[in-house]
Amino acid sequence: MNRRNREWPIALALAPVLVLVLAPFAWLMVSSLKTEAEIGQGAPFQWPADLMWRNYADAWRIGGFGELIGNSLMNLAGVVALTLATCAPAGYALAKMRFPGREWLFYIFIFGLTIPIQAIIIPLYQVLFGLRLIDTLTGIVLAQVSNGIPFGIFLMRSFFISVPDELVEAGKIDGASHVQILTRIFLPISLPAVQALIVISALSTWNDFFLPLVVLISPDIQTLPLGLVRFAGTYASEYRLVFSGTVISFLPIILLYILTQRRFTEGLTQGAIKG
Amino acid sequence: MRLDDTPARGRAAMRPSGTASRDTLGSALLLMAPALALYAVFTLLPVALTFWLSFSQSAGFNTGAQFTGLDNYRKAAADPIVWQSLRHTFLWLAYHVVLAGGLGLALALAIARLGRSGVFFRTAFFLPHLVSLAVVGVIWANIYDPFFGLLNTALTGLGLGAYTQGWLSEPVLVLFSVNVASSWQGFGLYMLLFIAGLQNIDPALYDAAEVDGANGFQKLIHVTLPGLSEVMTFVVSLAMINGLKGFATVFVMTNGGPFYQSELITTYIYRLAFQAQNHGQAAVLCILLSLLAIAITIVFNRWRARLAR
Repeated sequence: MNRRNREWPIALALAPVLVLVLAPFAWLMVSSLKTEAEIGQGAPFQWPADLMWRNYADAWRIGGFGELIGNSLMNLAGVVALTLATCAPAGYALAKMRFPGREWLFYIFIFGLTIPIQAIIIPLYQVLFGLRLIDTLTGIVLAQVSNGIPFGIFLMRSFFISVPDELVEAGKIDGASHVQILTRIFLPISLPAVQALIVISALSTWNDFFLPLVVLISPDIQTLPLGLVRFAGTYASEYRLVFSGTVISFLPIILLYILTQRRFTEGLTQGAIKG
Repeated sequence: MRLDDTPARGRAAMRPSGTASRDTLGSALLLMAPALALYAVFTLLPVALTFWLSFSQSAGFNTGAQFTGLDNYRKAAADPIVWQSLRHTFLWLAYHVVLAGGLGLALALAIARLGRSGVFFRTAFFLPHLVSLAVVGVIWANIYDPFFGLLNTALTGLGLGAYTQGWLSEPVLVLFSVNVASSWQGFGLYMLLFIAGLQNIDPALYDAAEVDGANGFQKLIHVTLPGLSEVMTFVVSLAMINGLKGFATVFVMTNGGPFYQSELITTYIYRLAFQAQNHGQAAVLCILLSLLAIAITIVFNRWRARLAR
């Protein structure tokens, strides 16, 4: 089979599709540098006369994007750390330890995979309220971690199961505890699973909207997607601000992805297939 | 990995090696305790409480609730918006599977035939999936803006001004328009999964088909698509579950309007629970939503198990 000769026509056919798919990004980035009057002309293919970088400075200041990004980062760090700390040991126990009720516990965890978060939101709000965790970073982190636990456990367990039992036995003969076997043997050789779990929990936390919408009420504690939606609603008539604020909201993650493309894709695909 | 240089500590070290293969429930529970505790409080308890709410009547958050039997179910069944949101949710699922799943499959089939440029296209086509659905809602609300939005201004600019629409205000169009935004965000993941599935098809099958004189189309029908059937069921079920959870784009772009024409079960739950404070009826919808998700999962797991055999 001659791949080279067949590659050009396909790439040529894909190019216009790609232009269409990425047009929203390009249009927003170009429009975000226009004046309000230029946006009002409704000429999407026209380049701005002067690049209005001021739009970004204004949006950043008025929308408090620095604070929003900071909140999102803290939210993300908390969820990723706690997800790993809860799912790795649980996945190990369910994969490599033999104890009565193991199957049952596994099914109870897996059950959570099927329940959409919206289906339990009313009592979840009540529980968080009862614990005084509404409108706190702790509250959103705990709710998001719990929501991700079924997938995380399933992912870690399916990787750990393929690790030979002999490694556990060898560790035990050397006098290692289960925690030591997990942290010194299993985690180092399961880096693809850890990588997948980090990428997936980080991306879903960074992009989450529903739980922050319900749990985070004060503007000064809100995360980026929620903050942008509030900002876009408040300044709906100032397109230049909405446009530049939107670009601020999607650009960081896209740049990060382009820089770490291979790991990112591997993590996502691995995770989705195993999970 | 050598462990002999680590001093033996912990209870496992004290246990005679003969019983080492059997673990106590206690030590396993200890490892699972953090996950179990969080999951019990923030997931299992709310699931149980949702059932209780659906059989009770309360005036809002943090007020006492009284058992009222099937009253909420009766009221929900009599509410035309419940049926409308259910119908919209099914339509929404179908749009998402066809638009996002279809585009993902088509692109995967094309990209899998590429060599080096495949990585570029795969990366570039994946970009929309990185954006939060709420941000996607803001982006596409502006694209659909009737006066300054990309779609109408581009149509006018290309001399197709007759096709401009109020994409989000036209009742027959709104659900589809919003779904396009969600599917634009969703297709990238399905594309990656299809590409991974295509890489798992044994190349010898293509060689055999070639020997038998199959043309490109016959190879697609008889080798590629059957080889993808397992990934296909997975992607379709994932797309259906993702569709079922759809909320942010609708909430941001139309808030269910105009006239409930883009109301989904999820957005109606939010409206009933957090705006109307009608928890009983919202809980009925929560249970309906869970049942739909469980049904989809079971049906597709069975189907996949049968394919794997």
